[in-house]
Amino acid sequence: MLRMMIISFTLKPCKMKKVIVFLAIILSLQSYAQELFVMTEPASNMPTGSVGVRAMNSFMYEKDGTLNYHIMPELMWGISAKWMVHLQSFHSNRSTGGLKTEGGSVYLKYRFFSSDDLHKHFRLAAYARYSKNRADIHQDEIETMGHNTGYEAGLVATKLVNKLAISSSVSFEKALDNMPDYKFPTSQSNSATNYTLSLGKLMYPKKYTNFKQTNINLMCEFLGQRLNENGKSNLDIVPSIQFIIRSQARIDIAYRKELHSTMSRTAPNGFIVKFEYTFFNVTK
Amino acid sequence: MKFITTAILIMVTLHIANAQLTKVEIMATGLTCSMCSNAINKQLKSITHVENVDIDLNKNLFVITLNNSNNLTPKDFKEKVEKAGFFVGSMVLYLQITDNKIADNKQIDNYVFIDTKAKTVNGITKARVLNKGYVTLSEYKKLSKALSIYPTYVKNDDNLIHLKAL
Repeated sequence: MLRMMIISFTLKPCKMKKVIVFLAIILSLQSYAQELFVMTEPASNMPTGSVGVRAMNSFMYEKDGTLNYHIMPELMWGISAKWMVHLQSFHSNRSTGGLKTEGGSVYLKYRFFSSDDLHKHFRLAAYARYSKNRADIHQDEIETMGHNTGYEAGLVATKLVNKLAISSSVSFEKALDNMPDYKFPTSQSNSATNYTLSLGKLMYPKKYTNFKQTNINLMCEFLGQRLNENGKSNLDIVPSIQFIIRSQARIDIAYRKELHSTMSRTAPNGFIVKFEYTFFNVTK
Repeated sequence: MKFITTAILIMVTLHIANAQLTKVEIMATGLTCSMCSNAINKQLKSITHVENVDIDLNKNLFVITLNNSNNLTPKDFKEKVEKAGFFVGSMVLYLQITDNKIADNKQIDNYVFIDTKAKTVNGITKARVLNKGYVTLSEYKKLSKALSIYPTYVKNDDNLIHLKAL
């Protein structure tokens, strides 16, 4: 967390000003908070017995100007109030010959602390992901969600206070060799520490009348990574708008923008469109 | 002799009061969004004998109407709220008590009245559950001090539902 703050304060003044203005806008909006973030998972889990389906679509700009497309369909299940699991597959058109399946992952989250009160809570959870991937290793950045075979383990804290949701996580991520024989380059750091900070606010409705009202949320997330062996780092900002339809479906539109980077990344900037639908009480 | 025994048994049975839930009001904690409320709504509606769930989304208040044949307990509702990922901040019960009489320390089935004045109720008894897990943690801390004269309440005996008549 501290590292991320230091990075953010070393940004160019104009970029920093934009970030501060954006944060000020988010914090000043008077409405209820949300924590169904686009880029990160909160410490809260989905309801027991519910099954969610999600499709994350990324349209990222390569440095040469071409656009690559990743789609990551995800199946989520609330095993109990404390445990949930995600299964995800990764597909992209990065290599020639159209959309190809590159890998998949399993993600597990355990909520181990919860202190709730009326309209507020503080929760802590531990999570872990294991991924397989058959893409070529083409950048310093480690990303087990769609790029690297490897694993990630971390802690997330989510606080809902005075109508503002704030979530922050720290994780350790380790990259292994990609399939079938893409060795992880020995010249690169194969482990990283990730930091995230997510803020969310509900814009509409000001007052609820029924479940059918579309909720509109505004969010801002910061995603940072530091490579453990060489100290290279990056920090991205992801502003997003989210629509929750009939209290059951979600559409998120986000833009990921690199604020700072000292590592090689092939396509850090681009749009993300995410769809999600929750089926309640599928299992007991 | 058999007739007398049967008559006594019937009389004794008639004298033992019992209580049945007719309606439950739950204030859930830890949520602000309608998707979260919907998760609780769906869990509550999955309970057999629940006739209807009315919701105030701004207050996170769930009013659950039950049918006459239910044998449900407050724990059944608490578990469902927690399965949705949230907690009970307040639970008010509407009870049909056969002898219509309540008093401090009076036990009816698994319910025991505490901090309650003796009275005869006309119809449905409205009472709030004071057990740990049915009030917010900060409220429970205050209540456990204020109600220290009730040993089962202090012991946090989960088999007894401690009620304060409203």
